[in-house]
Amino acid sequence: MERHLKIKIKNGKKYFYKFTPIQRAQHITIATCVIVLALTGMPLKFHDTFWAPHLYALFGGIKVAPVVHKIAGTVLMLLFMFHLIYVGFSIVRDMIIPLKKKKQLRVSSVLKSLVTHPIMPSFKDVRDIIDLLKYYLFITDERPAGAKFTWKEKFDYWAPFWGIVIMVTTGLIMWQKEIVTRFLPGVVINLALIAHSDEALLAALFLFIWHFYNVHFSTSVFPMGTVFITGYLPEHLMVEEHYEYYKQVMKAAGLEDEILAADGSAATKSEKAPETNRVISVSDLPRVS
Amino acid sequence: MQLMEIKNLLKFRISFWALFLFLILAAPLSSSAADIGNCLLCHKYPGLSRIDEEGKFRLMYVNEEIFNQSVHAKVKCEGCHPDIQKIPHEPAKKVDCLTQCHIIEPSSEKKFSHKDVAESLATSAHAKVDKKGQPKPYPEDIPTCKNCHENPLYRPLSFFKRVRPGISDVALGRCRVCHKSDEFIYRFYNHVTTRLHKIRNPKNIAQVCGRCHDDDEIIARHNLSTKAVFSYGETFHGKAARFLEEKIPDCLDCHVKPGESVHQMLRHDDPNSITHINNRGRICASMDCHPNATPQMATYKVHAEFNREQSPFQYYFQVFFIVLAGGTLLPLMGLLFLDLFRRLFPNAVIKRSKSTNGKTSQNQDKKR
Repeated sequence: MERHLKIKIKNGKKYFYKFTPIQRAQHITIATCVIVLALTGMPLKFHDTFWAPHLYALFGGIKVAPVVHKIAGTVLMLLFMFHLIYVGFSIVRDMIIPLKKKKQLRVSSVLKSLVTHPIMPSFKDVRDIIDLLKYYLFITDERPAGAKFTWKEKFDYWAPFWGIVIMVTTGLIMWQKEIVTRFLPGVVINLALIAHSDEALLAALFLFIWHFYNVHFSTSVFPMGTVFITGYLPEHLMVEEHYEYYKQVMKAAGLEDEILAADGSAATKSEKAPETNRVISVSDLPRVS
Repeated sequence: MQLMEIKNLLKFRISFWALFLFLILAAPLSSSAADIGNCLLCHKYPGLSRIDEEGKFRLMYVNEEIFNQSVHAKVKCEGCHPDIQKIPHEPAKKVDCLTQCHIIEPSSEKKFSHKDVAESLATSAHAKVDKKGQPKPYPEDIPTCKNCHENPLYRPLSFFKRVRPGISDVALGRCRVCHKSDEFIYRFYNHVTTRLHKIRNPKNIAQVCGRCHDDDEIIARHNLSTKAVFSYGETFHGKAARFLEEKIPDCLDCHVKPGESVHQMLRHDDPNSITHINNRGRICASMDCHPNATPQMATYKVHAEFNREQSPFQYYFQVFFIVLAGGTLLPLMGLLFLDLFRRLFPNAVIKRSKSTNGKTSQNQDKKR
């Protein structure tokens, strides 16, 4: 059974459980790999810049850095394989077995729960993007009420998902060129280099600008988001990004009275003194997915 | 006018003699092995220079210490400058590398010359005439000795346990068993070990080739298929060379047939050339490079430039990724900047929605 707390209250502030330890471990591994891969790969892509030899030298120069790059790439590949197994296991545990218990196990019902899983793109994402644009363009003062995973987070998941497939495949082609060219013409190495190098730049810019902005540098989070370490998302971020899901969780926890307004104002600040430390155990809660 | 010129010349002569006398009196006689003619008497002065007839600045200074480390250290000045017979001398002619110099080639015991190299070159891709003996267009573009070579320095190797590159004392100790002259030992050690590897590192080799093979005009004039050094620089080989890796292949490692010299390189469309499509696989699969490679690996486009004219397939493949990157990043960056801007004015809005306040009051009502 899960032993985490859906909502943790510390010093009067609520924190919402978001990532399991195994998810956090996967995230830290991919983050480390990607940073190392970028630092040991970019000097090759930008080999004629003034900084390239110095950055490369930090990783042992031309003799060692390619080895470091390959090690990090291999770890990333293994992580991706682990992740596929993890996803498969989760599908069995959270979809197939419950459906079996309800005696509803059919291909259509499994597909339906796959398609409606919170991480899958949905029409709500399109509506949310349009609503977000309205908010950005000062047409409305309401942010879209986000679900458990917002479109940004889905992007953050699926973009690296595609990215890893491309990067690992092309990386392996260039690494094992002797084997690959037994079956394929040499031009695939040219194409692999293009794909590897361009996709790497896209991934690096995407992660180090877009993702870092959203999770660390945005004024709501600055200087650093901690959910990737603690697993808990503070309430103000929950309200800002996941309002729809926030209301669900709060209702499920029986904290309807304490739901904040969408703009984050303490709408329900009561006369009652706030409890400073309280935990709401998951056993008290119905499961919210 | 003429009078002026003569006067100037006279002035020059007089000052030259004055300098010459000063040098003779002031300088002790130099005793370099190669300097029989005592040329360093004048040429050892770092400032020795003039503007030549073409208006170019010419430095005539010879650094004896550096020269003695060069492969030509044993050649006497007159060996390359035979036109200089007396001191002071007239402006020297350009050095002709095919001159017989005073070195005796030990295996034939004949006077040494680079004529054989010129003969190799004359049948190579760098010949001034084509296969039929017809002169090639733009002969001035075809390289001669000095386009690629300066007077290279020795770069000795060591093969002993845990020693640095360079002259090894261990090796010298062994030489001294039989050879008496240290000067001889140093020179031969340098001579032999310098030739056991390359004087230039891959980056320098590529730079030398790139003087012509990256020159847009020369490429266009000779209808070459690639900016060779640029496209090499886009491969891992070229990038590693730029990071000063010594063991990475440079131009010559692939373009020179093993067992032959640089001067015998052939065009890639010549069936005898190692870079001919039928032979290329042997280069990649060489024992020290990619021993498990099949000939198909050599169909890798080493000199692809990813432009539409030269390699359209790669070009459009790259365009796809550029569009993908732009199509992903530009909208996201747009949203990012909108987000930043929105955060500057959190309360500004065209039409304030009632729902927020409504919700609030609803909740408050409930509370009460």
